[in-house]
Amino acid sequence: MDSLPLHFCQWLAASWVGTSIRESDNLFSVIETAHVLGIVVTAGLIAIVDLRLLGILLSGSPASDVIRPLVKLTWCGFTWMLASGFLLFWSEADRLYANPVFRAKLVLLVILGLNQLVFHRTAYRRIAEWDLNPTAPRTARLTAGLSLVGWLAVIALGRAIAYL
Amino acid sequence: MHRPLSALVVSLGLTSSFTCAAHHSFAAEFDGTKPVRLVGVITKIEWTNPHSYFYLDVKDSKGVVSNWGCEAGNPGALSRRGWKRGDIKFGDTLIVDGFLAKDGSHLIDARRVILPDGRYVFGGTPGDGGPEDAPAAGAATH
Repeated sequence: MDSLPLHFCQWLAASWVGTSIRESDNLFSVIETAHVLGIVVTAGLIAIVDLRLLGILLSGSPASDVIRPLVKLTWCGFTWMLASGFLLFWSEADRLYANPVFRAKLVLLVILGLNQLVFHRTAYRRIAEWDLNPTAPRTARLTAGLSLVGWLAVIALGRAIAYL
Repeated sequence: MHRPLSALVVSLGLTSSFTCAAHHSFAAEFDGTKPVRLVGVITKIEWTNPHSYFYLDVKDSKGVVSNWGCEAGNPGALSRRGWKRGDIKFGDTLIVDGFLAKDGSHLIDARRVILPDGRYVFGGTPGDGGPEDAPAAGAATH
């Protein structure tokens, strides 16, 4: 007996919106391109912060001077990725449901979200103490390293979805 | 003291990006040395992104019918070549020249499709590295 999530995915894919995107002449390509371009704003800005925390980039500037101006734009980028990604998912939900590469990408995104939460609840709370240091405390460097590797892996997995 | 660890993390991150190697190439999935001509009746059409698929019931020389899938380009690319949604229907007979899938399944990459109205259409994706010309008529059906 098929599960409820699978049925929901089949319903999404068969819907007018899902079908229109899937069978479109140009719309699918536009959404997919928007999703890819959003990587620049999302993963790119996150990487800048990660590299500051690791002391590789902009280490002469206070960490908060690097982080704070980028927060809003990073959230905008993430929202853009979620919206465009959801539309792409909507068009093929039934096929993506079973795709292990797609599932791995979602799991990794959740891990990266939790990783971000850990950073914010620990080292970031005490940022005044290490703001002027070229590198951040150990936990912050660990979360930054995981973030850097993790987002590259998310991009690679996203690219690999079509091949499975 | 901190730099070597940072450098290691960055280089690990960069190497992980190499998993997304080649672009979606013909050669990754299909065998350019195995040309095939399929003549069959359409049983299913998936006019979809990123690839469209149509399925044919093909009768071999012994009269045994088997179902074959043909992979073609996306709807936008096909309609720019004059092959529009609705040009083919269930029950139409198509002649498709293509190349066999490497995994041995009943799937070909449709390089040239002869539509019911007699038009020839290139079914592939430009720039995928596959053979530009369809194989000669008279090639084995499987």
